[in-house]
Amino acid sequence: MSEVVIEGVTKKFGKTVVLDNVSLKISAKEYFVLLGPSGSGKSTLLRLIAGLEDITDGSIYIGDRKVNDLLPKERNVAMVFQNYALYPHMNVFDNIALPLRVRGRSKEDTTRKVRAVSETLHIYGLLEKKPKQISGGEQQRVALARALVRDPTVFLLDEPLSNLDAKLRVEARAFLKKLQKELGITTIFVTHDQAEATTIATRMAVLNKGSITQVDDPYELYARPNDVFTAGFVGSPSMNLVHGTARRVGSGWEFHNEDLNVELGGKKLESEGEVIMGVRPEQIAVEKGGGGLMGSVSYLELLGSISYVTVNVGSTALIVQLTGRPDMEIGDTARVRFRPEGILLFDTRTGRRIDLAKV
Amino acid sequence: MRRGQALRVGLILASPIIVYFVAFFIYPLYTLFQNAFTSASGAISLDNFRTMLSDPLLSVSLSNTAYYFVGSVALEYGIGFAVAVLLYNYTGRLRSIFRTAIFIPLMVSPVVIGLMWLMILNTNYGPLDYMLSFFGAGGINWLGSQSLAMPSLILANTWEYSPFVFLIIYAGLQTVPQQLYEAASVDGLTRFQTFRMITLPSIRPSIVVAFLLNSIGVLKGFDLIYVLTNGGPGYSTYILSFYTYVVGFSFFQPHYAAAIALLFLAIIGTFIFLMLRFTAVEDYLGLKKGKGE
Amino acid sequence: MKGLKVLKGEIGWLKKNGLQVLLVVVLTLVCAVYLFPIYWTVVTSLKTNSEVFSRPPIFFPSSFTLSNFYTSADVFRAVSQTAVGSVPWMIDSTIIAVVATLVSTFLIAAPAAYALVRYIRSSWLARLILFMTMIPEAVFVVPFFIIVAKISLLNTWWGLILVYISFSAPFSTWLLMGFFNDVPKSVEEAAQIDGLSPYQIFYRISLRLVTPGIIAALILSFISCWNELLYALVITYSPFPAGAQTVPLFLTSFIIVEKSFAWGGLAAAGIFTMLPTLIMGIYAQRYLARGLTLGSVKG
Repeated sequence: MSEVVIEGVTKKFGKTVVLDNVSLKISAKEYFVLLGPSGSGKSTLLRLIAGLEDITDGSIYIGDRKVNDLLPKERNVAMVFQNYALYPHMNVFDNIALPLRVRGRSKEDTTRKVRAVSETLHIYGLLEKKPKQISGGEQQRVALARALVRDPTVFLLDEPLSNLDAKLRVEARAFLKKLQKELGITTIFVTHDQAEATTIATRMAVLNKGSITQVDDPYELYARPNDVFTAGFVGSPSMNLVHGTARRVGSGWEFHNEDLNVELGGKKLESEGEVIMGVRPEQIAVEKGGGGLMGSVSYLELLGSISYVTVNVGSTALIVQLTGRPDMEIGDTARVRFRPEGILLFDTRTGRRIDLAKV
Repeated sequence: MRRGQALRVGLILASPIIVYFVAFFIYPLYTLFQNAFTSASGAISLDNFRTMLSDPLLSVSLSNTAYYFVGSVALEYGIGFAVAVLLYNYTGRLRSIFRTAIFIPLMVSPVVIGLMWLMILNTNYGPLDYMLSFFGAGGINWLGSQSLAMPSLILANTWEYSPFVFLIIYAGLQTVPQQLYEAASVDGLTRFQTFRMITLPSIRPSIVVAFLLNSIGVLKGFDLIYVLTNGGPGYSTYILSFYTYVVGFSFFQPHYAAAIALLFLAIIGTFIFLMLRFTAVEDYLGLKKGKGE
Repeated sequence: MKGLKVLKGEIGWLKKNGLQVLLVVVLTLVCAVYLFPIYWTVVTSLKTNSEVFSRPPIFFPSSFTLSNFYTSADVFRAVSQTAVGSVPWMIDSTIIAVVATLVSTFLIAAPAAYALVRYIRSSWLARLILFMTMIPEAVFVVPFFIIVAKISLLNTWWGLILVYISFSAPFSTWLLMGFFNDVPKSVEEAAQIDGLSPYQIFYRISLRLVTPGIIAALILSFISCWNELLYALVITYSPFPAGAQTVPLFLTSFIIVEKSFAWGGLAAAGIFTMLPTLIMGIYAQRYLARGLTLGSVKG
């Protein structure tokens, strides 16, 4: 019904390729997130779906219609901008009513819909005010109201929460999620904040330099990232990424560099070679004292219920997660132990994850 | 929106100005060129330009213009700049009153300015002569003597235009971030050093723009001369803009007038060209191509 | 001992504030010079004839009279009695300036500026506009005269209006370009998504958001039309029927024709002329700074 299909879409600005042959299928009623650092092309992709930019190559389908050549207003999409883009010279009521008025809806109809939407979004009391007279959170809801008042088929959001302060942001996230579920509109949400993405998405796509690295649900992206970029981008603090080689040792395999040797515990590769090892902080254990894989504590981050300890093993720095308060201090000697199940290996050359077979 | 569609909308919106452009810019320019290269008999020739070379009135106009230009710009720029710096350094409550007062000459019609100065410069009844007589320099026929008419003109023009320079420089000074001065005072710079090494470089755009616009404004000037001296006495205040008018409408020589007009355009064109080069149009309009997120 | 202390205190105060005091003095002098001619004109307009022509000149008249204003008004009326339609010259100027300003700003400059900034994004065209604002009047006098004569609009309101639009439009366009550029693109894009056509976006959204620019353009345009001399001189040069004689022409003919130098009346007429532009200018100072400097400073 209102699914969005992106087929082989490429977008160039002059000579610069911003999106390179991107393909994606977003199902109806999904809360889909486009995640990526700035410059990755995520906002551009959103704008292509909206129709604010032309596609250089490829096609976009909304529902069953190919929308490449359609104007934004013909696509029946709605968009919320990062800075809300409310009409400063109109009051809230007129802001929300504009889309309807432009489409020639009757006055009673318009008033009714605007009232209804503003009640849903709890901004009913603000209808007479101008945008600059209301708070950031309220402005955001007005932007949402303006988008929703048209019953769009697709709902596009371009980093709409970036301008809110932290606490409001969390509330707004939950609010949006609930709203989307109630209304059942296909939603595409763009953000650079990976924590935000993993919290709200049913499925998400990670973009890097104009290409999609992986499309999956948040947990899969976290546990089984396809490549080094995704591994390093998703999850905070980032996954530890260490360069070295994978080699046979006796009957098993190990990861090795000048500072560490880590057994791969029952996994093997096809051949020896240079790899990047990825381990999440919670997959490493650290204890005070010497022996084993030894290093010195260089940094501590205390977050209340958990802490992050940075241990320098030789020249390799590892971030390790610890519950509660650490019993060590900066400068102490500590040893680390890796949980073999948590070890991921990536090809140094391509960056892609190496599938490890069982020995 | 497709490139083609965008262009179409743009052209429709700009159609009125395009019409105007063709009718009141292209066409006149065309007739100017056409006339300039046509002799009085109607044949195509460079006669007009040859005449220019031996036209005594033209050479007088040119030298007068140079005199007028140098004198006016030097005074206007110097005074305008100085006043801007003075007001900038003044931190009292009278600031806006001063600014308004200095701003006023810009709002007065040049014709009225001419009128004012006509009265003031009058030898017998004008206050200027009277005040100068205290310094032993009274009884002078300001506007009636060939040697003093131009300076009088320059004086009136300075009164009219120095606020313009002031405005530009003053506005430029206000864009200098306060933090630069604070850093300078922490680094131990004297007032003079601060001015030379911090302030001046920071307002470089304003300095150039003020000079160019001032120059262009002075060269364009017509009203003041027409009212105060009408080119006289003799031909001592004939300047190029005035001469162009005279050739066209007193001598009724459209062909020669066209040639003069083109000459005028060429001369002022150098300043305009510099101004165009200097104006970062792309920044002003945000025309830079490039895409972020 | 105590005296020394007080003296030291005074010197300290003077050191700190000495500069400011000096500045006030100098600035007051400067402003006096700038305001003196205006003062003189005002005073002259209020003097009786005997005081106007006195040597030494009287700076503070002992008696005030408003007769000069009547005189000049009379002259206004007297001359205009020969005019077709007998409309006072002030009204000529007003109508011409107002119409030229409105047409040039709203019908021509605003859409052109918007088109240049959002659609035809060409820096060459922008430079061309800037170029047009700086061309001297004298260059195009003869061609314009010929054009206006050809369409039989010599000596009429519309003749002068059309000519005034030709130099008011580029200036206003340049001015408005900067303002339109400041309108956030996202607001226009939101309007696009909401379903407005480009023209609707221009008219209902963008135009409403550049109000300060519009005000500046209107005022500056009006002032330049009101004060303009050369084209009025040329295009309305025939005194009969004086269908479109503007105030500057009135003043100059007064000066040149009235050899008797009726300065009192002339000063009064000058005040009339000055007043509208002066009031507008002072009221809208803030808006004008940006326009007058051709956008080089975001005053």
